[in-house]
Amino acid sequence: MKKMMLLVMILITSMTLIACGGDEAGDKITIDFWHMSPVGSTSFSGMRSIINDFNESQDTYFVRGTGFSFWDYWDKINVAVASRTAPDIGLSTIDDVEARARSGVLYNISDLMASDTTDAPLEVDEFRQSQLDFATYQGDLYAMPFSATTRVLYYNLDMFAEEGLTEADVPETWDELKTIAKKFDVVEDGQLTRIGFDPTYGNATYHGWLWQNNLDFFDENKLPTLNTQAHIDVLEWIMNFNSEYTRTQLTTFGEGNQLLGINPFASQRVAMIVEVDGLYQIIKDAGATFNYGVAPIPIPEGGRRVNWGSGFSIEMYDNGKGEDEQRDGSFLFYKYLLSKDVQIRLAEVNGWIMSHISAMEEYVEGNPILEKLLAEVDYAVDKVYIPYAPSWHGNDWQPYYTEALSGTKTAAEALEAARLNYLQKKQNYDAVNP
Amino acid sequence: MAKTISMQKLKRQENMMGYLFASPWLLGLIVLGLFPIIASFYISFTNYDMISSPNFVGFANYQILFTNDDLFWKSLGNTFYHVAIAIPLGIVVGVSLALLLNNKIKGMSIYRTLFYLPNVVSIVAMTLLWLWLFQPNFGIVNEILAPLYKLFNMEPLRWHQAVETSKITLIIMGLWSAGGSMVIYLAQMQDIPTSLYESAEIDGANWIKKTIYITLPLMTPSIFFNFIMGIIGGFQVFTIAYIMTSGGPSRSTYYYAYYMFDKMIADQAMGMASAMAWILLVIVLIFTMIALRLNKYVVYLGEEA
Repeated sequence: MKKMMLLVMILITSMTLIACGGDEAGDKITIDFWHMSPVGSTSFSGMRSIINDFNESQDTYFVRGTGFSFWDYWDKINVAVASRTAPDIGLSTIDDVEARARSGVLYNISDLMASDTTDAPLEVDEFRQSQLDFATYQGDLYAMPFSATTRVLYYNLDMFAEEGLTEADVPETWDELKTIAKKFDVVEDGQLTRIGFDPTYGNATYHGWLWQNNLDFFDENKLPTLNTQAHIDVLEWIMNFNSEYTRTQLTTFGEGNQLLGINPFASQRVAMIVEVDGLYQIIKDAGATFNYGVAPIPIPEGGRRVNWGSGFSIEMYDNGKGEDEQRDGSFLFYKYLLSKDVQIRLAEVNGWIMSHISAMEEYVEGNPILEKLLAEVDYAVDKVYIPYAPSWHGNDWQPYYTEALSGTKTAAEALEAARLNYLQKKQNYDAVNP
Repeated sequence: MAKTISMQKLKRQENMMGYLFASPWLLGLIVLGLFPIIASFYISFTNYDMISSPNFVGFANYQILFTNDDLFWKSLGNTFYHVAIAIPLGIVVGVSLALLLNNKIKGMSIYRTLFYLPNVVSIVAMTLLWLWLFQPNFGIVNEILAPLYKLFNMEPLRWHQAVETSKITLIIMGLWSAGGSMVIYLAQMQDIPTSLYESAEIDGANWIKKTIYITLPLMTPSIFFNFIMGIIGGFQVFTIAYIMTSGGPSRSTYYYAYYMFDKMIADQAMGMASAMAWILLVIVLIFTMIALRLNKYVVYLGEEA
């Protein structure tokens, strides 16, 4: 009996210990870094060599990189941060740095910079103020911009040529957009088989179109401002852009795009689309052979040149354990990741536009599409963080937007319903958040 | 005396071994089950964004949900609709299938396997499959119904994409896995003594009479079991809506569990989400208790009961 008990105990202990495998770190201080290049992804080996180069450059620290796929990453990092088991360095979304900074889970980067005595300080000037603002809480930096996303107008040059148009005809205003877009519409047997442009396709959003009109969802007090005639006008412009076709024609066409499972611009079913910079990589990977170009998103009369740019932040997590050595080593690696050369390598590895300005200028040189994409980053604005509705542009807005687009509600009704919903959310949030 | 002591010792040892062997499960229950349950009960009285520590707010979450949250009532209403139709319909289909398959014809085991098969398919894969079957323009369902639409001169149904039909579409889709309960019904049907049928036959009863007076009454325990399980599962309906409709159109398939998920993930309001979970528990408990009370009137528990 005793032997059996012993056996069971040994089994349990060995199973517990098996998880704690060997480590390459040796006597070095281990720094955990979470990224989005998991084993098996195309960017894995590139990311690994970036980390290895750092590890080989010094003897004090050992960076252990862990990659998760983009879709898994957010759950992992959120749970880890909440349970104070976050990695030393990780990526996150830049628009809600404020929430984490307020909760005290991030190291104050400004403080670390102030006490940095090395001859390789963090080059804050190399990053855009618009992105740095999002990483700032109460005057101090709590994160750094890591990558930048931008949205542009992609246009199919082959289709332009068919219509006798050139790059000089690429629309710059809303009126031009509508006039030119209509040239590309193709209807066969009552079915749409190609359209010029649709303001709901790709990565075009209602708030993106609002911004161009100097409007927004919220005012400076973070109260919803959706009930003006100007808001209704923009929504109606979106709803009526292709109104010469029946709803059935448009839905059938849209569903055809879904069925193909390829971006409608890449499959040449639309002549122009508003998309993120990542579409460049998708078209490249798909081996598409058509000619295309990118341009700023057309703006309305009296509007401003702006696009919705999101991006990753890179953050140092403070798990409240007072690990000073760990923190100093992390900061060293942090600066390494944000240095010019490494930012170029990261861009090559991931296909992302990184945040380091001069690094990216060097990276895009000679590639006209990348050059234009980078130029638009300067006009990119991230969405504001609304504590009572963190997903204001997604979950909270989408049902009303769909109702307006499908004709269940008028523009005015949809906007009013959405506004009331935000107000109720705010009321409820304020009731439990003194 | 010496014998009793050694017996007691043996018993204790045996108990010890029992617990030891059960320990992985017990540990799992306490760590993965009991702890989160207690934690969520506490969190439901706090305001917790999952980053900073929870702040105690008393009954505020519950009060807000009941008095100032339109989506709470909307999602609850949708869920009640789903439960009220899906559960009875599921029973009817399950029992009917079982009656059909309770025959001695060739290749019966193949039919049984076929009807049970959908239960083995992952719910995500199943939902994606039905998404394309119900697809209004290219889907096979509308393709098959096309002559009917023509006959009645009506527009093809937009199934999960129209407010009027979205809920019922998801319910119809759920019926595909009625084979799961069918297996339980079938097991009980085959447990019914043949002598009962034989004596009924002597009295001149036909198939319908035998079904109504013998089969169905004797099957009430398994119907009841599936009813209870259906209620518990029905109130938690989530995956099919999440994948197929994203809660739309016009939030017509925005179920309670979906709203709870959004409260937690999108709004980062863990306290509110926990409160919703406890409210759901109470609702399910009430319905289960009512069902259990009804049990003695409708369920046949054998002669001695």
